[in-house]
Amino acid sequence: MNAPQPALVAPRPERLRLVGQRRQMLAVMHQRLMFGMLVYAGLIALIALRILYLAAFGDHAGRKEELTSFVPERGDILDRDGQPLARTIDAWSIAVHPGKVIGDKLALAERLAALMPEKTTEQYFALLRSDKTFFYLKRRAPPELVEAVNAIGEPGLAIEREPDRLYPQTSLAAHVLGFTNIDGRGGAGVERAFDDYLSDPETRGQPLVLSISSKIQQALEAELGDAMRHFSAIGAAGVIMDVHTGEVLAMTSLPDFNPNAPGQATPDQMFNRATLGVFELGSTFKPFTLAMAMDSGVVSGPGQIYNCPDVLPAYGHLVHDTHPFGRQCTVAEIMMESSNIGMAQMADQLGTARQKAWLKKMGFLDTVETELKERGHPLTPGSRWGPFETMTIGFGQGIAVAPLQLAMGYATLFDNGIYHPPTIRKIGPGHPIPPGRRVFSADTSYRMRSLLRLVVVKGTGRKADAPGYRLGGKTGTAQKVINGRYSNTINITSFAGVFPMDDPRYVIVVMLDEPKATKETYGFTTAGWNVAPVVSRTVSRIAPMLGVAPDMHREPNMSEVLPFVQEHKAEKSKD
Amino acid sequence: MSARSFGSVFMVASCAGAALGCYLVSLRVASERAALESVETKIVMAQRDLRMLQTEIGTRGRLSQLERWNAGAFSLSAPNANQILEGGFQLAQLIQPEKQVDFQAPVVLAAAPAPEHESPLSQPNNEQTAAPAIGSGALLHEASLKTETREVPARTADQPRTAGMKSADKPATAAKPAPNKSADRPGLAAAQSELQHQKKSVDKPALGHGKPMTKPVEVAKTDPLAPLPAKHGKTKDSPTGR
Repeated sequence: MNAPQPALVAPRPERLRLVGQRRQMLAVMHQRLMFGMLVYAGLIALIALRILYLAAFGDHAGRKEELTSFVPERGDILDRDGQPLARTIDAWSIAVHPGKVIGDKLALAERLAALMPEKTTEQYFALLRSDKTFFYLKRRAPPELVEAVNAIGEPGLAIEREPDRLYPQTSLAAHVLGFTNIDGRGGAGVERAFDDYLSDPETRGQPLVLSISSKIQQALEAELGDAMRHFSAIGAAGVIMDVHTGEVLAMTSLPDFNPNAPGQATPDQMFNRATLGVFELGSTFKPFTLAMAMDSGVVSGPGQIYNCPDVLPAYGHLVHDTHPFGRQCTVAEIMMESSNIGMAQMADQLGTARQKAWLKKMGFLDTVETELKERGHPLTPGSRWGPFETMTIGFGQGIAVAPLQLAMGYATLFDNGIYHPPTIRKIGPGHPIPPGRRVFSADTSYRMRSLLRLVVVKGTGRKADAPGYRLGGKTGTAQKVINGRYSNTINITSFAGVFPMDDPRYVIVVMLDEPKATKETYGFTTAGWNVAPVVSRTVSRIAPMLGVAPDMHREPNMSEVLPFVQEHKAEKSKD
Repeated sequence: MSARSFGSVFMVASCAGAALGCYLVSLRVASERAALESVETKIVMAQRDLRMLQTEIGTRGRLSQLERWNAGAFSLSAPNANQILEGGFQLAQLIQPEKQVDFQAPVVLAAAPAPEHESPLSQPNNEQTAAPAIGSGALLHEASLKTETREVPARTADQPRTAGMKSADKPATAAKPAPNKSADRPGLAAAQSELQHQKKSVDKPALGHGKPMTKPVEVAKTDPLAPLPAKHGKTKDSPTGR
């Protein structure tokens, strides 16, 4: 009713103020509401966007990220043909948390003792009552045992899977592979040398490929092990190498151990005789002396004549031969019959300085070059290296090298005189062949072929011949130092061979430590009787696998040496 | 007016529809990806199982175990160098074709050897009977027969003919002269032949001399005629025959 005449009466000032206040308040409220709405809208938009984002790009709940690519806990080790030599598998482990055991501890101990009889009930009971929070009952447990333990139903028992290193070939190439300790770190061999590569998450997905061929390794180990048992030797070592690349195809040291249970191995079994052990290898050194002499121009060729008396007095000592010539003889004959007297004269002509320089060039004065950490350092006369020592080194006494080094020397000599460091990894795209260096001239390398073949055809290494495979090589019987003096009865016998001699491709070095004489050897303990047959059998076995075709009609150029050999009645093998 | 007032509603509806469509697409993609991942997971699990089984097989069939079986149970050893061949040619060289008995044709086999078997038996029989008459004589007189046949009397022609047939030089001529020659000449022929024989005897082989009774007649006629050079050839060969 009053409304039509608003202008008649001026509003009361307090009312006016009230209207203004209300407007102001409304505006503020509107602002606040708007602000609140914007905040909520923003939040909702954020959530919606997030949901949309997740729908478009996000992961779903059931995704198992780590299973999309399989990377073992530790890298595999394969042989050159791809056969696994070491793998990491998931093994079962059985452990117990004594604090969490809720059942009767004595009953539990009894049942555990029945399942795992390696400890008695009392021992299990003592363990369960101890203050320890956790201990392993069994690592690498067989599945049946795990099932039986699980059936006990005790919550204090923890059955877990843990990565475990398995060597499927057991003791094959044990010294090359080495072993891992309980923490999964490499303890020896390749496991130790390539520990970083094998355990690095970046690289462990790619297996480590070795140059070892398990078939050849097996052949070498089997034949060498047979001989070692047969001749009651205390140890043996063998190396097979590719002449052209320096790849080690097989390397063994006996007695060996099972890397699956390294704790059970004795120190003697752990000792790597092929790389860590250094031995005076005797006459197998003679080809090097001859090659040095030929390359230095001291010896003109296999026809050069030396005077070979029964005994050679030199620098206050006497040099003996097992089967003395007692006449003039050619270099070919010296090599064939392994004459110390002839070789000593050659080494004497060569001289100490040149001999040292040659040995240095061949790597015989340095630690053997290989990836393995077990490397032996050669033993030389050192400061006592005089003219007589030069002579004895000329025929292989007085210098001790590792069998791998000897194989390396032969590989150098027969790879046209070029040295390649021995490698345990397969030469291929990821591991190119390292640059070599020339040691001997190609001509010397070529002339040594027929000389070493002669040793096997007519000389001391006749029992090493593998018909059809043109093996050439040199026997070596070194007297062992027992209590500071050379023993006349205890030997280290070795054979270094190369085949096929008409185009050398592989070198084999075999060594027996303290072989005993048997009936078949007529009391001899020389290399021609015990290691030479090992080489013959091994080469006959592995050559077809290595792609060396047998051929009865091929030989190196024997006409270079045969004219310089005086024919006489067949002799007993000797050294 | 209605269209204008509902315009915003349509706008919102279409936006919502598009957003829903997009969401459905992405949902579909996500579910596909999830399926793919589960397959990948299965593959990895299968790979792990394979690895496990390979390891187990490798461990059970480790080389030292195989060697033990080879040496002990199977007695196998590595092949010798001469047991390894270079190729198919060398392999084929080792095989000798075997004589196969043909069971399909037993009749032929039964019949075939019979005549062959008889002939060697019959030959000695013939020789026994014919030997004194022809045997060595036929061989001796081959060369002279040709000429004899022209002039030698008919009675001697019997032997020469057979011999001449054997030599197969001139069977036709051998037949001709025989009837022409009469029995007049035996005396002359004998004398001549003896003379000739004495002359030629030095040159002639001993075999020729072995048959004086029948042969001289034949030989005598040969001389005047052509075949001499042939004889000379023969005689040269065996001067020591006597």
